[in-house]
Amino acid sequence: MIPARFDYHAPTTLDEAVRLLAEAGDEAKVLAGGQSLLPVLRLRLAAPEVVVDLGRVDELRGVREDGDTLVIGAMTSHAEVAASDAVRRHARVLSEAAATVADPQVRHRGTIGGAIAHADPAGDMPAPVLALGGELVVGGPGGRRTVPADDFFEDLFTTALGDDEILVEVRIPSHQGWGGHYAKFTRVAQQWSIVAVAAAVRTEGGSIAEAKVALTNMGSTAVRATAVEQALVGAEPSDEAVRAAAAQAAEGTSPPSDINGDADFRRNLATVLTRRAVLAAAGS
Amino acid sequence: MTATTDAPAMEVGRDRRRKEDRRLITGRTRWTDNLSAPGMLHIAMVRSPVAHATIGAVNVKAAQEASGVVAVVTGADLADEQGTLPNVWSITPDQKVPPHPSVAVDTVRFAGEVVAVVVARSAAEARDAIELVDVDYDDLPVVLDTRDALADGATILHPDLGTNESAHLVLDFQTEGAAGNVDAVIETASKDGIVFEREYEQQRLIPAFMEPRSMLCDPTGEQIVLWSATQIPHVLRVLLALSLGVSESKLRVVAPDVGGGFGGKLQVTPEEFITVLVARRLGKPCKYTETRSESLMVAHHGRAQHQKLTLAAKKDGTVTGLKVELEADMGAYLSLLGGGTPTLGAFMFNAIYKFDAYRFDLRTVFTNKAWTDAYRGAGRPEATFGIERLMDDFAHELGMDPLELREKNWIRHEEFPFTTVAGLEYDSGNYEAATAKAKELFGYDELRAEQAERRDRKDPVQLGIGVSTYTEMCGLAPSRILGALSYAAGGWEHASVRMLPTGKVEVITGSSAHGQGHETAWSQIAADALGVDFDDIEVLHGDTAVASRGMDTYGSRSLVVGGMAVVAAAEKVVEKAKVIAAHMLEASPDDVDFAGGAFSVRGTDQAKSMAEVAFAAFAAHDLPDGVEPTLEGDATIDPNTFSYPHGTHLCAVEVDTETGQVTIRKYVCVDDIGKVVNPLIVEGQVHGGVVQGIAQALFEEAVYDESGTLVTGSFTDYLVPSAADLPTMVTDRTETPATTNPLGVKGVGEAGTIASTPAVVNAAVDALRPYGVDDITMPLSPQRVWRAIQDGADR
Amino acid sequence: MELQHRFTVPASVDTTWELFNDLEQVAPCFPGATLTSTDGDDFAGTVKVKLGPISLQYNGTGSFVERDAANHTARFEARGKDKRGNGTAKAAVRTVLSAAGDGTAVEVTTDLAITGKPAQFGRGLMQDVSDKLLATFVGCLSDKLNDNDQPAPARQPTAGQPSKPAANEPAPQQPPSRRPAEKIDALDLGLTVLPVLARRFGPAALALAAVAALTWWLLRRR
Repeated sequence: MIPARFDYHAPTTLDEAVRLLAEAGDEAKVLAGGQSLLPVLRLRLAAPEVVVDLGRVDELRGVREDGDTLVIGAMTSHAEVAASDAVRRHARVLSEAAATVADPQVRHRGTIGGAIAHADPAGDMPAPVLALGGELVVGGPGGRRTVPADDFFEDLFTTALGDDEILVEVRIPSHQGWGGHYAKFTRVAQQWSIVAVAAAVRTEGGSIAEAKVALTNMGSTAVRATAVEQALVGAEPSDEAVRAAAAQAAEGTSPPSDINGDADFRRNLATVLTRRAVLAAAGS
Repeated sequence: MTATTDAPAMEVGRDRRRKEDRRLITGRTRWTDNLSAPGMLHIAMVRSPVAHATIGAVNVKAAQEASGVVAVVTGADLADEQGTLPNVWSITPDQKVPPHPSVAVDTVRFAGEVVAVVVARSAAEARDAIELVDVDYDDLPVVLDTRDALADGATILHPDLGTNESAHLVLDFQTEGAAGNVDAVIETASKDGIVFEREYEQQRLIPAFMEPRSMLCDPTGEQIVLWSATQIPHVLRVLLALSLGVSESKLRVVAPDVGGGFGGKLQVTPEEFITVLVARRLGKPCKYTETRSESLMVAHHGRAQHQKLTLAAKKDGTVTGLKVELEADMGAYLSLLGGGTPTLGAFMFNAIYKFDAYRFDLRTVFTNKAWTDAYRGAGRPEATFGIERLMDDFAHELGMDPLELREKNWIRHEEFPFTTVAGLEYDSGNYEAATAKAKELFGYDELRAEQAERRDRKDPVQLGIGVSTYTEMCGLAPSRILGALSYAAGGWEHASVRMLPTGKVEVITGSSAHGQGHETAWSQIAADALGVDFDDIEVLHGDTAVASRGMDTYGSRSLVVGGMAVVAAAEKVVEKAKVIAAHMLEASPDDVDFAGGAFSVRGTDQAKSMAEVAFAAFAAHDLPDGVEPTLEGDATIDPNTFSYPHGTHLCAVEVDTETGQVTIRKYVCVDDIGKVVNPLIVEGQVHGGVVQGIAQALFEEAVYDESGTLVTGSFTDYLVPSAADLPTMVTDRTETPATTNPLGVKGVGEAGTIASTPAVVNAAVDALRPYGVDDITMPLSPQRVWRAIQDGADR
Repeated sequence: MELQHRFTVPASVDTTWELFNDLEQVAPCFPGATLTSTDGDDFAGTVKVKLGPISLQYNGTGSFVERDAANHTARFEARGKDKRGNGTAKAAVRTVLSAAGDGTAVEVTTDLAITGKPAQFGRGLMQDVSDKLLATFVGCLSDKLNDNDQPAPARQPTAGQPSKPAANEPAPQQPPSRRPAEKIDALDLGLTVLPVLARRFGPAALALAAVAALTWWLLRRR
């Protein structure tokens, strides 16, 4: 459980962090909350020569409202995200998802930016961000750029982040007034999602006007269940109507098979959880 | 038995908070890894990533030259002195025991086997250097299932043995007056009754104690001292001496505070051998602490059996015969108890029922996996699972209520003491009382009604009820029985009770607590026996230099055997003290009473306190003739029988048929563990035991891939449940005292685990009977439950 | 585990066989691999694998077990060890080419065994990941054969659509939001030094790629 030797830096500004990263080249790793990186280091599945710790870069931390956009600093912990009134108001499903991550200890150390940059297909952060049409702001030697979530999650543990770039913040258009629910299926409480569904629903005049649904761990990245979203437009928030729409949840997905569930089981879970998440979101 | 005091017991039976908890819970104590010795070196192990291979070159040069490295030792280096790890239980006269070197020399037979040892000045440098050892492996075919291991043409793990079967034990039992053996009984049933067959799987489990194993050997003193987080310091000392050729009097073994064992630390390990050998070779203290990944991979696993049960019964459900066929996976080598663990189950498959004939047929088999040995219950949970699943399945077959079927066949209260078909005499028990209480607490009839209702409306969430009426044999064990079973050691336990001159007490016990609360319970026992304050008693254990005699802790034996030794030793103290007190009081011992911690002359107010007597014995100024100075009592108790706690556990589960999720809605256990010394401790044991049994039913499994790699290599994948996953249990007790020891106590350490697994699985299967499901392999993951429903629908 | 991949290309069997024996063509399809020496039918190489936080380096050897130019079948075995003792990887790869009309049907059967840490801590995704990975690799080869007029200097691997190997992946009925087309670019790993080596080690490179790619994929699973 002892990592291999590395040089450690704890910059206090983003610019300094970017500079350190550029200097170290591909022998560096960025440390956010450490909940994914530290186990890898301890298990010696990696031995970077340099670790750049963002823990003291205060400018990366915090939740704020910027007009109609909710902005969450990359170094904001899951616990802060889950506790934030602003997040609950503007991005209910994200608030719920953050509250389900692992256990309290992990939530207080782990960060939304770290989780998103790590892009574990079983991680809970990408699906809500994807569903709500979020954008990721990335900082590098060339300055900042913004990447829509649709383009950001590319594959297993692979994002649009370059080796010399750092995730700065998550920007989410306000979904105030929308209902939201994150339905997460696990065998034991602190486990990675076997499958999870992020649902945001806007009801109007007693029926579903618009729905945004994204799935966790139904493929190498989170995916939007667009067929479901389309089928829900104008639907009654009833068990029967939502069930029919949710039946398409697994379309186009390629869920993994592992000891927690094979692909068939996951496809089944996707439909069941989608129904439950949408109904809860419509009711909330 | 003689009462030592006339005053009512003040401590025994009382809900005392445990003395040891503050230091254990806060961790502010001497765990083995906290210890250090001057000049101490650190050991790290180079372990094979492959499950079966011959070892080619072991290149240690780069490692030897690494920073801080003092030595790199290979199997070849140790070949002449490392001997073989011991197995102490020959379950058959011709049991095959392969040599087991601590460091592999020619061949590795499981992933994780040690192939080289690095010793360095710091733990980090040792960890760095193991990466530099380059080992060439020539892969051999991997055998992962006992069935494959026994098949024709299977790769043989130990070629010199010529087979992968270590032993084949067949025990044939029949009661007096039975018509014949089990074959005859089954024959009869096939004509006039029912023959009912089932196969069940006991998956492989990992004991997963909270404190990883750790050991420190200091060879620099007159005695070689080994501190080890072990359950068995005494047994370890003897076996180290025998196996490594170290003079036993030159060896001292200390188990400091140990953070959990559950049978998983009941072992003589390669790591301990290596630590001692290396320390001795280098002449310096050496420490090894395993990582959690190592622990999950190589610390012995539990369970792992294929079971086939054949039941013979009359048409009305009266059971007549039972045949049990087991294949038990030993792993790559035979562990300390090896085949003995499943053998313990031999006496428990017949459980609480009256059979005319019974056969136990066990094959112990080698595979390229980690070795297996005792894990909470050691053979008895496996047996109880088999028979209790069978009874629930049979009840369904007959269309009978499962509790009714039990009652039809169990030993009735008035029939005790009862000798079972397996030849054990159960001293006492009251299955009727425990069951009635459990049913009431459970709300059995209401839950059955709700079950029916949910079935009628085809609720996607179904309700199931599972029964487990268990007994277990514990208080291991009468030494003569162990001898008859060819187990190499005895089952006694020793205690010394020492009155110190100032009136305080030391209780020295051969039991070796690793979380059980002995310090508290023994203090309660001694406090009552001696009339001394609970807080004035210190319980010492775990160090062979302090507790010189002992047989250590496992098999729910410590209270029944070790606690009774404390009682007996305390009685001797009181007896001697009475003689001294009488002398001090110038009276005859026959006229002296002992009560409330004082000796008084009957009919007068003349008295001497125990403390005064203790000091007098120390000063020895005026002791009666023939009485030696100091006030101590010594007793070694060998139980003449096992103890037989029993109970009824009822479990209600909700099964979400859409997702396969099984949630325990209600769990009720009524256990009869005889007299209770400390209800709080008993509650803790029941909770912990039940939880580990639930974990087997729903969550845990050690899974290997086809290369023989343990893919549940961390707690991410090996699912040990937390409090968040578990129900609040309703626990209660009936109390039918044991008739075989003075306190009337039975063991409780393993009972919860033995009982609970079948209760949970029975409940889930019960919920899904209408869906065509009659069995689900453990653990009942949502995937498996869901799949069973889909498959049942196809039938 | 055994993994099967099939694809069909418009090139002739001989052209396809040529490519498979041309390391310069095949090597660029798997980033991170370096062939360090060759000796007759044997070779040695290194695969540096980096994905997300995980970074491992496997040193391996491989050799042709069977090469039948007349029947266009080749069998190759490779094994590698992680340089820090994290485990081993072993692959036996059989490629069979057969004429399919004017084109060639390629069948790749890989028998794969990964031991040690990636399997212990990989959360059990090896089969899927390996499958996908090999699909990507063969997809790249397939692409080359589809536009095989171009000579192939060592270049960045081009995109292989995951559905290209066709046989085992159903076409998506709804577009997932990720980017299949850019997948291989995104999977770019460090060190892509690809020295030119004897042409006949194409299939060998394929097998090493299988080991590399496979171990790389499964290593992504922390």
